[in-house]
Amino acid sequence: MKLYRPATVLVGILFVLLGGLTRLAGPDQVFEEDNRVVKRGTIGQAVPYGDSTVTVHRMKFARAYLTGETGKKAVETSGIYVALEYGTVQGTQDISSPNGQLTTDKGTVYLPIAETYGSDIDFPAPGFGVIGSIIFEVNPADLKGLTLKVSNLQLFNVMGQDVAIDLGVPDEKIAQQQIDAATPEYLIAKSITRVAS
Amino acid sequence: MESLDDVIDAMIADKVIHRHRRKWLIALALVVVLAVVIFFTGGWKEKQGRKVDTMDAPVTIEAGRYEVGISKATIWRTPKTEYSPAKSRLEVELQLKNIDEEERASHRFDSMLLRWVIAGKDPVQPAGVSCKDEIGYVLVYGLPAETCIAKFDVSPNFSTDMTEIGILAETYKSDSGLFGATDKAYWQSETAVAVVRVPTTIETETDE
Repeated sequence: MKLYRPATVLVGILFVLLGGLTRLAGPDQVFEEDNRVVKRGTIGQAVPYGDSTVTVHRMKFARAYLTGETGKKAVETSGIYVALEYGTVQGTQDISSPNGQLTTDKGTVYLPIAETYGSDIDFPAPGFGVIGSIIFEVNPADLKGLTLKVSNLQLFNVMGQDVAIDLGVPDEKIAQQQIDAATPEYLIAKSITRVAS
Repeated sequence: MESLDDVIDAMIADKVIHRHRRKWLIALALVVVLAVVIFFTGGWKEKQGRKVDTMDAPVTIEAGRYEVGISKATIWRTPKTEYSPAKSRLEVELQLKNIDEEERASHRFDSMLLRWVIAGKDPVQPAGVSCKDEIGYVLVYGLPAETCIAKFDVSPNFSTDMTEIGILAETYKSDSGLFGATDKAYWQSETAVAVVRVPTTIETETDE
């Protein structure tokens, strides 16, 4: 049997060329993950997320939180709570329920507490905005480089967009100051939907 | 009458069988040997009994990304009133700590990782695990252990003085890249690591 017929060789060359072509189609820039773009920002800055925006208005440290339900006591922690008050404005592109999580320089990941789990960062209908808050329980000894990451699960063949908002905790000393100034109780406010202006 | 084709076919078949007879014999012998080996090593019998250690509460066990402590178990009985039937629940007190060195991530404790082991019956999953009266509590990496309660539904007049709780642990590993999956590791495939025997008390409470 002839192993190297011209047709076989041609198919081989075709595969090599196809491999090269997929390399050409890849993005020019180098990202942390090759299918995600990260937009960075700070507190108070409206960070674009698709054609929507996310703004962190305020960060508060608290030793306990209240849900405002009658008959429910304040829930305390052995760590500390970080409450983020955010505002979002929805553009016309659909955003499928992004998650919020906090990360630190050590690579620790904090997720929202069960009370605000699931409805992490709210995006309303196009043309509207939401003001809401999410609460994280965190380890007070591990706060350096605290960053809010907003991302959603996406198919790997779509260019994903993430938001990373620096929450201004450059070192442990500043973290300690924030912890010392923490409010004894934080009331989780109901989120408000308004017309985007 | 047989046709010439049939005769030739038969001749060829004869030759073929003859040519491969030794291989067939070897294959048959292998099957017999395999059968004998399986027979003498205990056969396909289903394994009975438990393969993990049994410990006595209070005890703390490292199970995957959690440290699970079990301290006590209580059966809470609510007697029947004029408006509600009698009911009962089994509560197991846990001390849960997130020790996920790999991902250092907060995670909600999955009630799948606990089982109530009842002799002769299928193990029972808790109806819910709550910490600070919150179901689906998110355990934070780096914080001390949290006192939580695993609740099991039982029939109103159930009683026992010893409860066995099985603990499962996940392992941090990646899927085989063979099927095109990513080779990123994650917590998966929970397996039993221990069974804890907890003395159980029965208490009565009344609905207010």
